[in-house]
Amino acid sequence: MSSLAYRTLRSGLGLKGSVRTLSSTSSSLSNYQHPDFSSYLNNRTTEKTRNISYFMVGSLGLLSAAGAKSTVESFLSSMSASADVLAMAKVEVKLGAIPEGKNVLVKWQGKPVFIRHRTPDEIDEANDVDISTLRDPQNDADRVLKPEWLVMVGICTHLGCVPIGEAGDFGGWFCPCHGSHYDISGRIRRGPAPLNLEIPAYDFTDDETLLVG
Amino acid sequence: MSFIASLFQRNSIYVATIFGGAFAFQGFFDVAVTKWYENHNKGKLWHDVKGKFLDGGDEDEDDE
Repeated sequence: MSSLAYRTLRSGLGLKGSVRTLSSTSSSLSNYQHPDFSSYLNNRTTEKTRNISYFMVGSLGLLSAAGAKSTVESFLSSMSASADVLAMAKVEVKLGAIPEGKNVLVKWQGKPVFIRHRTPDEIDEANDVDISTLRDPQNDADRVLKPEWLVMVGICTHLGCVPIGEAGDFGGWFCPCHGSHYDISGRIRRGPAPLNLEIPAYDFTDDETLLVG
Repeated sequence: MSFIASLFQRNSIYVATIFGGAFAFQGFFDVAVTKWYENHNKGKLWHDVKGKFLDGGDEDEDDE
């Protein structure tokens, strides 16, 4: 039974008892309608194929490296100073960049700090005021370490707006919210504010550097 | 192709190119994505509407 089935299969394949290697290109099987794969085959040299593979592998590596780099960066940036550390930070200001008669606003612990390089005229003006007439009597000398540098927290003592520099009736600061006028020493002169502008703790580390905080 | 192929001749150059390319790619990618994002959201971003709010007056800021 099995012998008959084998013989039938052999004759059906046209092998006629001889042993041949099966090959799709063999001319002896030309009666078999096999598909033409030649359009799928490339004619590239080995070297070119290898270069393409390397290019693809390299491109994937490049993208992975960029991804890995930004992942590492996000971890490293989480180690940088956090908001509570920054809130207690000191601020260093280079005074050489501030010309005479100019205001500079720096941010210190989330608050604006006014730094004014006062002219000699302004220093005289601040000292000429009769402090007994003031609402919050304070000598100009008590408000500055060096007369030419006025450093104040730029928050109105009334309700906390930020006053505008070089404005107001007294040549100093003017708060636009409710009209408080401060003079060139930051003292309250007119308006609803009860106190002079606050002086932060600061120091001159050298002739050119101011350290607020 | 010969320039690119010259990068594959030594592994040290190959790896160095990949790492260097990653740095260059990241800068380029950041710029491209930011540009696309700003173009996609044109008219809604802060620097587009800034003038409208800052010139319009501070009638909402009445507390001192």
